[in-house]
Amino acid sequence: MTIPQDRLRNFSIIAHIDHGKSTLADRLLEVTHTVEGRQMMSQVLDSMDLEREKGITIKARAVRLEYLAKDGLVYGLNLIDTPGHVDFSYEVSRSLQACEGAILVVDAAQGIEAQTLANVHLALKEGLTIVPVINKIDLPSAQPEVVMEELENILAIPREEVILASAKEGIGIVDILEAVVARIPPPKGDPEAPLKALIFDSHYDAYKGVINYVRLAAGTLHAHDRIRLMASGAESEMLELGVFRPQLVPVQLLVAGEVGYAATGLKNVREAQVGDTLTSAVRPAAEALPGYQEAKSLVFAGLYPLSGEDYPLLRDALEKLHLNDASFTYEPESSVALGFGFRCGFLGLLHMEIVQERLEREFSLDLIASAPSVEYQVQLIHGPVITIDNPSLLPSSGTIEEIREPWVRLSIVTPSTYIGPLMELATNRRGAFEGMDYLDPQRVLLKFELPLAELIVDFYDQLKSRTAGYASMDYEETDYRAANLVKVDIMVNGEPVDALSLICHRDKAQSLGRQLTERLKILIPRQMFEIPIQAAIGSNVIARETVRAMRKNVLAKCYGGDISRKRKLLEKQKEGKQRMKRVGSVEIPQEAFLAILGMGEE
Amino acid sequence: MTAGPLPASPGAGAPQPDLGAASTTGTTTGGSPAQSPDPALAAPRAAPPVALYVHVPFCVSLCPYCDFVVYAGALARGPRSQVVPFVEALTAELRLRADALDERWGSARPALRSVYLGGGTPSLLAAAAVGGLLELIARRFGMAAGAEITLEANPGTDDRGDLAGFAAAGVNRVSFGVQSLDPAELRALGRRHKPADVAAALDLARGAGIASINLDLLYDIPGGTLERWAASLDAAIGLGPEHLSLYALTLDDPDAEGLTGPGGDHLPATAGARRWRERARARQDDDRAADQYRLAVERLASAGFRGYEISNWARPGHESRHNLAYWQRLPYEAVGPGAHAFDGTTRRWNGARLDGYLAALLGTPGAPHEPPEPPPGGSETLDARTAAAEAAILALRLDTGLSLAEAEAGSLAPHLAWALEGGFVAEAPGGRVALTTTGRLLSNELFARLV
Repeated sequence: MTIPQDRLRNFSIIAHIDHGKSTLADRLLEVTHTVEGRQMMSQVLDSMDLEREKGITIKARAVRLEYLAKDGLVYGLNLIDTPGHVDFSYEVSRSLQACEGAILVVDAAQGIEAQTLANVHLALKEGLTIVPVINKIDLPSAQPEVVMEELENILAIPREEVILASAKEGIGIVDILEAVVARIPPPKGDPEAPLKALIFDSHYDAYKGVINYVRLAAGTLHAHDRIRLMASGAESEMLELGVFRPQLVPVQLLVAGEVGYAATGLKNVREAQVGDTLTSAVRPAAEALPGYQEAKSLVFAGLYPLSGEDYPLLRDALEKLHLNDASFTYEPESSVALGFGFRCGFLGLLHMEIVQERLEREFSLDLIASAPSVEYQVQLIHGPVITIDNPSLLPSSGTIEEIREPWVRLSIVTPSTYIGPLMELATNRRGAFEGMDYLDPQRVLLKFELPLAELIVDFYDQLKSRTAGYASMDYEETDYRAANLVKVDIMVNGEPVDALSLICHRDKAQSLGRQLTERLKILIPRQMFEIPIQAAIGSNVIARETVRAMRKNVLAKCYGGDISRKRKLLEKQKEGKQRMKRVGSVEIPQEAFLAILGMGEE
Repeated sequence: MTAGPLPASPGAGAPQPDLGAASTTGTTTGGSPAQSPDPALAAPRAAPPVALYVHVPFCVSLCPYCDFVVYAGALARGPRSQVVPFVEALTAELRLRADALDERWGSARPALRSVYLGGGTPSLLAAAAVGGLLELIARRFGMAAGAEITLEANPGTDDRGDLAGFAAAGVNRVSFGVQSLDPAELRALGRRHKPADVAAALDLARGAGIASINLDLLYDIPGGTLERWAASLDAAIGLGPEHLSLYALTLDDPDAEGLTGPGGDHLPATAGARRWRERARARQDDDRAADQYRLAVERLASAGFRGYEISNWARPGHESRHNLAYWQRLPYEAVGPGAHAFDGTTRRWNGARLDGYLAALLGTPGAPHEPPEPPPGGSETLDARTAAAEAAILALRLDTGLSLAEAEAGSLAPHLAWALEGGFVAEAPGGRVALTTTGRLLSNELFARLV
């Protein structure tokens, strides 16, 4: 059924992890009969296995609800789901651009978190209407009054606008839907104008080819229109048009303001990229929509197939995955230790972990990731500035005038009892304290400036462990600053392992080198010969450990006539070996390449 | 290892006294078929069994490190004991297996060269029950003259059983689960006996006329030292056994290996055993284990023992014929819960669960009488490549190793060359290659390349 434009509402939900966004979304689907109770699978929108396992939303997703409001009219509500982790704020801003409003969900017991603040600021910047909701009011520890005060103090949200709800218990759901209808403005855009549809996401379907998720800014799109992608110039006959309910349901047409999908029939992912504008080939728009800024990669690492012959598979997998997640970058690189692979740029460390896991699961690849790095600017003596995101490529120190590294502005929301430990953590990481605001008498917002390189290694884990999990953080990149940085190389059995090189502050090189060699000593299993592990700056060895030679690996147990069991144990050992990377004559397990991440705090 | 096809007839009535003859078909006579240069080329062939394993799954109490199929406590002793119905079921299984062999190979097939009653604690059986079983076995499977008949026993006073009775029933070899001769180590392992019980048990066995005695010992025991191991080992040698099995305490996890499902050949570890193993594992040490092994190699050599297999030493002529059958990949039959059989091409096993075992063979109490059925279990048939790898690995466990021709042939060659270069194998008498002591200690490094 076609709903007129003035009865459409496009909105997203902003919430911190665990504040109940997915449960609320499920409840909205249920109340509007989009998904009936008996088909209801908990957390419908987080459909990726990884999302359910980790309890987070990674990908934006959209769903169309039809709601019979108290005014007796049916409204079409497009809910565009957004990720909640700091790494994915790029994804969030894309979703927000497709909306006129956002439901802000805050946990009645936990209060506002750092990321919620960041995302609300993003929404306000986009001119979105905010519908504030305090969720989980059924909890014994709920403090809706305190949270209302926080909203008022920090975000200037009047308490009269706040809806009290419990998504779990179904309290306040109808109030939320009514507020969406009443407060969020309908989309604008002339249905008669030439078609302009922004591609805000896409995925690849083996049967239908590239499926673009679109938001129509102007015009009308019919199911079998001939379309053109304005940036790539590709043209095609549409195969199918539809909406998300939440599975893909075909419709005959979409008008300006609506959100849906377009199966373009295109087979090449590059022809219909996220951010491009889809228009009519017959009556094209004069100019494209502004699109998106490219996501900025902050963390870089090499991804290598465990077995060299899988390189082409990895290349194809990266290409396919990139269509679904345009926020990572990749380009070929080679490593002496690891062979041919790709240098990839990620939004953050979690993003890196997720991309790696998706490649391994969805494409059945065995991968090795090198230690993560940031992007450095290197001023060469009498020469140009080069940027490097792979520490092993840092030129020799004699040729370098100055190295600059990226800094971030870091916001931490924490109970005030943890101020001390967090100050210490930030200072250890070369951070500069910038200020502190009380959200309410018990909770503060701390602000620091910090080198990004210090943030990407275990900072988040440390933050959580020092605050019993209570603190949350958010950061944004600021500028590049010069620092006294050196490259630390790691040699295993006398051979430099380029994938283990890292850049760090000179003052920390010694202790980092020591920790890293100690950690590698634990991670590299004993082998048939003694293996020295050294850390060095240039030719100067700063730390050394030794993995002693293996002395016993024998099945010396009575297995009786159960030869099968013995054989299977041997086969398991063989598999274990095959999952290691041979560097020189040493077999190095995958996790050793990420040794830098598991060292804990000095 | 038998390089050629398995002997179609082990020669009833003529058990081979010499290990070399049994294990080196290619270099000895004895009417063996022509030798194949590469074990990979030796087409595996099924043959009737030359050995029989009988699993008796009862112990007075469970040892936390053990993952053989064992039931303890009330099931093993007292009014609710399942031992009597078990023996009845075992009898039924023996008849079924013999029927199947008769059908496949005819009743004139070669007689058994060894029978092994293992467990568990077979010495918990009444001597009459052992006598009954052996009589049935002799009747249905045939027993070669001078066949080796082993029974496993505990040295403790309450579970060593009627050694004289066993000997009278036909048992001619006893294997005692000694594990250690150090009182603290025995306690740590959860063993019921004391060091002095071992000598007493040995005396009883000798008095009963048992001419071949094995002692099982464990090294790499948590809290153990090289000195304590040397003392245990010396004390064991001092008791005058003909055979010693020295096993590294190995805390496997049958659950993680996927062996403990409903039809699995192992029982799940109890929560207590699990915790014990975790704690013990943290107190094990490969370096100590290697030192202990090397010490044993030296002491036993000077005491006149031959280390004929990675974990087994014997005085000449007392090598365990039954266990050699496993390593020589000769066919063997097996009965009892969790027992494994092999016919030269297919490995077959019984499920571990006693209830399923009893129900299949004895029927359900109160239900109409059903003919006995083979107990639940499983089997796998090895492809030629796997079989060849397995043959090479088993052969290399023995001090007779592989013939040079075998080692240099086919897919083995690069791995053996690597092992030769690394000093893990060396040339042995008679144009053969065998593991060195270092090679034995690191044998999995080679074997994992071969599987």
